[in-house]
Amino acid sequence: MSKSLTSTALSATALALALGTALTLSAAPASAADDKEKCYGVAMKGKNDCAAGPGTTCAGTSKTDHQGNAWKYVPKGSCEKTASPTSPTGFGQLAAFKEKKA
Amino acid sequence: MTMQTPFELSARGVPVRRTYSDGLPNRAGLGLKPQHFAEILATEPDLGFFEIHAENYLVAGGPFHHYLHRIRDRYPLSIHGVGLSIGAEGPLDPTHLDRLATLLDRYQPQSFSEHLAWSTHGGAFFNDLLPLPYNRVTLDRVCDHIDRTQEHLRRRMLLENPATYIEFAASTLDEAAFIAEIVQRTGCGLLLDVNNAYVSGVNHRRDPQAYIAALPLSEVGEIHLAGFAEDRDAAGAPLLIDTHGAAIAAAVWELYAFALERLGPTPTLIERDNDIPPLSVLLAEARCAERWIGYAQRDRLEISA
Amino acid sequence: MSDQRLFVAALFDPEAPCPAGLTAWNGSDPARRFAVYRNNVVVSLIDALADTFPVTLELVGEEFFRAMAGVFMRAAPPGSVLLAEYGAGFPAFIERFEPARSVPYLADVARLELLRVRAFHAADADPISPARIARALADPERLPALRATCHPSLGVLRSDYAVVSLWAAHQGHGDLAQVDPFVPESALIVRVGLDVQVLALPPGGDTLVASLADGLPLGQAAALALAAREDFDLTAHLALLLRMGALTALVQPTEA
Repeated sequence: MSKSLTSTALSATALALALGTALTLSAAPASAADDKEKCYGVAMKGKNDCAAGPGTTCAGTSKTDHQGNAWKYVPKGSCEKTASPTSPTGFGQLAAFKEKKA
Repeated sequence: MTMQTPFELSARGVPVRRTYSDGLPNRAGLGLKPQHFAEILATEPDLGFFEIHAENYLVAGGPFHHYLHRIRDRYPLSIHGVGLSIGAEGPLDPTHLDRLATLLDRYQPQSFSEHLAWSTHGGAFFNDLLPLPYNRVTLDRVCDHIDRTQEHLRRRMLLENPATYIEFAASTLDEAAFIAEIVQRTGCGLLLDVNNAYVSGVNHRRDPQAYIAALPLSEVGEIHLAGFAEDRDAAGAPLLIDTHGAAIAAAVWELYAFALERLGPTPTLIERDNDIPPLSVLLAEARCAERWIGYAQRDRLEISA
Repeated sequence: MSDQRLFVAALFDPEAPCPAGLTAWNGSDPARRFAVYRNNVVVSLIDALADTFPVTLELVGEEFFRAMAGVFMRAAPPGSVLLAEYGAGFPAFIERFEPARSVPYLADVARLELLRVRAFHAADADPISPARIARALADPERLPALRATCHPSLGVLRSDYAVVSLWAAHQGHGDLAQVDPFVPESALIVRVGLDVQVLALPPGGDTLVASLADGLPLGQAAALALAAREDFDLTAHLALLLRMGALTALVQPTEA
């Protein structure tokens, strides 16, 4: 199929042929390969509720947590496992940056 | 409101007589949680009703509506708003009222309720039920907002008493008197949150039983029960946090029994929004509430006999 | 003048004193009690972002994510009561957020996650019927001018980074250490039944789907895809879209 469609000037006939074949193919049950590509139910929860947070009076109020001028965190998650060809070590280069004062 | 038939089939297909108080059956219900959708449909537990938070279902489509539609076919429903911001200084959001009206039309719930609190200001939403002072100015504003809500939704709403952590120097009325006057002026009903009554009672050292007794109990259409967490204030006094993240405390069960003695059988919701356990755990709490409702029913019968 | 405005200002600024006029029965410092509200607001809004962006969180770790989300949340609290909609501006914020610059693909992973949440809650729509396609095929001369309506949940993300592979590796598919994040990938996000699916679209495929979603006629969308990649397999891509129920209607220009 695709071989006949290498021209960018796509004829109506070629389009009809592609769509007709696609219709036939799409009626077939999904193959195992498709199942592999399929990605996982979403464990989505309802985000609105009327309860107080599970934290205490302290959580979320620590001054260092959210003040941009004292930014002290560096990414420390799975990004450290990703390959980075631009990094001398071959892995993600992590460095602290001073946040610009807004 | 749709007409209620006196006889309905229970979830298990058994005809049961139901007495309606503001529409919901005098039984126990549970907050509907997405992690329980499939299990509820597969097992159809024997339960009085489900309650949803309106704002989670103000989305266009997808799994939430798919499951709610099917569950609504099998159970009575309560829709509980958490974002109308009835206690806000600013006017109610007409867009939000429209969305609520559409949701209520779609699912025809037996009950609609909201909070005595505010959660929006200047177009921003804070996702918490914030407190307000109780005085003539705030009373007029809250009554106006409830009037508008009931007009817009063309139905009576229930107002829930709040759990609060602070009080205001600007308050001139106590909370029960404030609520009683709202109910009297707007004709709205009351959602008696027994856990909130207990939590606020401890937090402000007032007697939760006296508080409940001072409310217009004849207008109660639903009860909420939940668990709290314990903290301390700056002086080391207990400060209870309304987390909905634990089993219902023994003291709250006792206060519930006290309320039921005065109310008679009343639809009762078990609320759990954090650390949500398996459905079976919540169903056990619901059965416990139903035993109390049963006692209240029997007491009524003995009194009338 | 507005008590609630002062209350809100103190909620969001941990340096601000507790609002005036708050009391406690025992005369204790009301700041401690007010902190419960501050905590509820701050933590619940950061939690809402963590729920929407779980892989973004995993990539940079909980501590970094929550601090970053806190900076965002203070600058841009929700403008809607519906928390499912919160975070639309988060990817663009991440892109400009200096401390996250060492993870240049983070913003696009967040974009993918945002598209998933949107797809999850998008309107329902029936897939186009085989009979409708058969009718269109009966009149092939008019076929190139037809426009396809995409499912409301459909989204396309074209990235300079390996967004799909990075995301999938966090779902237990593939080894993250083997993913080169600097390989451009395009993602197709669409809800099939109740499940949101994420698929990598090869070059050409992304052009086709994005062109259809933009409302270009079938013929033009297919020609653009072929121009993007000369061995583009139009049949396979149309079959994929039909199988996923990603197309819901074929519309004549005059009907539009």
